[in-house]
Amino acid sequence: MLAYIIRRLVYGVVTLLALSLVVFLLIQASGGGPLDRLKLNPRMAPVIAQLTEQWGLDKPIMQQYFTWLRNFVTPTDVASAAGLTVIFGKIGIQGIMPIVTIVIAGAYTAWAFLAKINQSWWRAFRAFSIVFVWVIGLWLAKSRIVFSLSWGDSFRGDGAVWDNIFGAAGATFRLGITALLLALLIGIPLGIFQAIRQYSFFDQVGTTLSFIAFSTPIFIIAIGFQLLLALYLEKWTGVKLFFVTGMTDPGYNDLGFMAQIGDVVRHLVLPALSIALISIASYSRFQRASMLEVMHSDYLRTAKAKGLPRRRVILKHALRNALIPIVTLVSLDVAGIIGGAIITESIFGWPGVGRLYIQAINAVDYPTVMAVVMSIGIGIVIMNIVADILYGVLDPRVRYD
Amino acid sequence: MRAVDGVSFDIAAGERRGVVGESGSGKSVTAMSIMRLIEPPAGEIVTGTIDFQGTNLLAMPEDDMQDVRGGKIAMIFQDPMTSLNPVYTIGDQLMETIMLHQHVNKHDARDIAAQALDDVHIPGPQTVLDDYPHQFSGGMRQRVMIAMGLSCNPDLLIADEPTTALDVTTQAQIMDLMLQLAADRGTAVMLITHDLGVVAGFCDTIQVMYAGGIVESGTAQEIFGDPQHPYTWGLLGSMTRLDESHAERLHSVRGAPPSLINPPRGCRFNPRCDFVQDICRASYPALRTSGGDDQLAACHFAVDLDLKTIDVREGSTT
Repeated sequence: MLAYIIRRLVYGVVTLLALSLVVFLLIQASGGGPLDRLKLNPRMAPVIAQLTEQWGLDKPIMQQYFTWLRNFVTPTDVASAAGLTVIFGKIGIQGIMPIVTIVIAGAYTAWAFLAKINQSWWRAFRAFSIVFVWVIGLWLAKSRIVFSLSWGDSFRGDGAVWDNIFGAAGATFRLGITALLLALLIGIPLGIFQAIRQYSFFDQVGTTLSFIAFSTPIFIIAIGFQLLLALYLEKWTGVKLFFVTGMTDPGYNDLGFMAQIGDVVRHLVLPALSIALISIASYSRFQRASMLEVMHSDYLRTAKAKGLPRRRVILKHALRNALIPIVTLVSLDVAGIIGGAIITESIFGWPGVGRLYIQAINAVDYPTVMAVVMSIGIGIVIMNIVADILYGVLDPRVRYD
Repeated sequence: MRAVDGVSFDIAAGERRGVVGESGSGKSVTAMSIMRLIEPPAGEIVTGTIDFQGTNLLAMPEDDMQDVRGGKIAMIFQDPMTSLNPVYTIGDQLMETIMLHQHVNKHDARDIAAQALDDVHIPGPQTVLDDYPHQFSGGMRQRVMIAMGLSCNPDLLIADEPTTALDVTTQAQIMDLMLQLAADRGTAVMLITHDLGVVAGFCDTIQVMYAGGIVESGTAQEIFGDPQHPYTWGLLGSMTRLDESHAERLHSVRGAPPSLINPPRGCRFNPRCDFVQDICRASYPALRTSGGDDQLAACHFAVDLDLKTIDVREGSTT
């Protein structure tokens, strides 16, 4: 399995190199340059000349590419305030992490115990390894020993690309993970219930609604939520429940602890729901289809013929098989989180990677554009490997060789 | 569509009953109905009774039915390759049934499961318990299914074409094993098959099904010695026999089974029957005693036809 992962990583690096070259050439071919805006002002000529020299814009394209590549993979000094500390600092994860660690490990151990799984020592080891990884992460975050790459400087004159992206990553993760959790917790059970009650009223309504949600563009959904759940809700009932822009209130730091949580939630609900709605639609449709396929399988008939209660037939024998096809879908969505929700973040003024990306594209700030694209690419490569490993966990027939 | 209509039969304790018929004749649907595994929208049991040890299974609450399934009536299915859940170990799937019906703890269930695997001659049962179904051949998986079916000592074992998907050498082993185990425990067996050879070797009584109904039933001796229904005769005639010369072509029942959505009027076999008369197209023949003491046949001419003296092979070629 280790050999398999290493081989996949090597393929991944090749894929990423190809991706970087293609995207780099596309940016060059798209016309316009990072300094075009300055050219409108004749007095800027010396600045332009200096920046062109500094950024190497007068060099041949392939040379620029290799310069970028070298910058991209060169580690900087041990980071002072960059990288993970920024994310963890923004989410305030240092405080939450020990609790989350204990909850996850505890829940996992309890589950292994309650489900009376064979080879329980192996499960216990895996539960322990989760704790181990979290503790290492915690230590890294606390001790600020963080690996950091230079990724070059932004062409917009606002510092290192790495710092900019990781500065925005906290916001993006907060939004993305919330949306993903909503989608998983709502979409998958929804699909299961629809499959169990196939052709029922509930199923028909669910299928129709998910079809509508799936085919509506995200900006319509986002603006629709802003209008209905924020603007008109306040207009008609006088209740200001949700905010339509930003991550927190300007006066956030003066609020009490509970008020801070409330403020975060009220800012988070609408953008998260907008993103989640489409995922809910697609997850529930996929889950329904794969569940239906499993429900008609021979082994489910066997399970019923053994006299198992219906609940057990569905939750034990059907669900695990029906989850296998969903893994790919969810894994790629997880990878998508890294790139941020470009449209949603723009609509809700959310200071995440997606908004940064749009701003970078408008300014032809290609170190930033490249960095965001590569981050998404790396995320997809890694999540594909994770998905393949998850297949093996869910389905014993999968072998890595 | 009526997949099974007007089927009525009894199976005595310890009896070995063979149910024979073409694909689509309602054999499996009958078996699934006994287990109450027919669920809407696929189908439903409209009316009738299924008496099992004095209780009508159709009137039973679902909870009680769950005790019957797997506990008192076990079922083995046709395709062992797909009948076991691929993501759980064999031990897990066996122990699940045992814990459910015998109310024992996990440790005891494991011992019972290992014993059940040993009974079906699977080597190294303790280690096999931790293996997954895909690590086994079809024959071995069917042994596991048999072990699973018999692990709770059911009173009736329904085997729905248990050897159809297996190769011929394995077929005989599996049949021997299953019927030996059933005989040891006094379990009644309802063996569904379209293989008359299997039925001849293993069954006490036989019922022949055609287009959703029983056309003939009786002891194995009666059915094989003196078939009363032209369809039974056709089935028997289409068997290869090692003790006869192969000079003649095998007989085949001409035509195809009728559509049950729009069944033929009168006797459902009439479009394919070599002896068809006007009455066959007009009215449906009831099962009535004919031939041997325990023999029933659903043919207007069952008593009159002496099938053995008529050379149907000539008739069928015209």
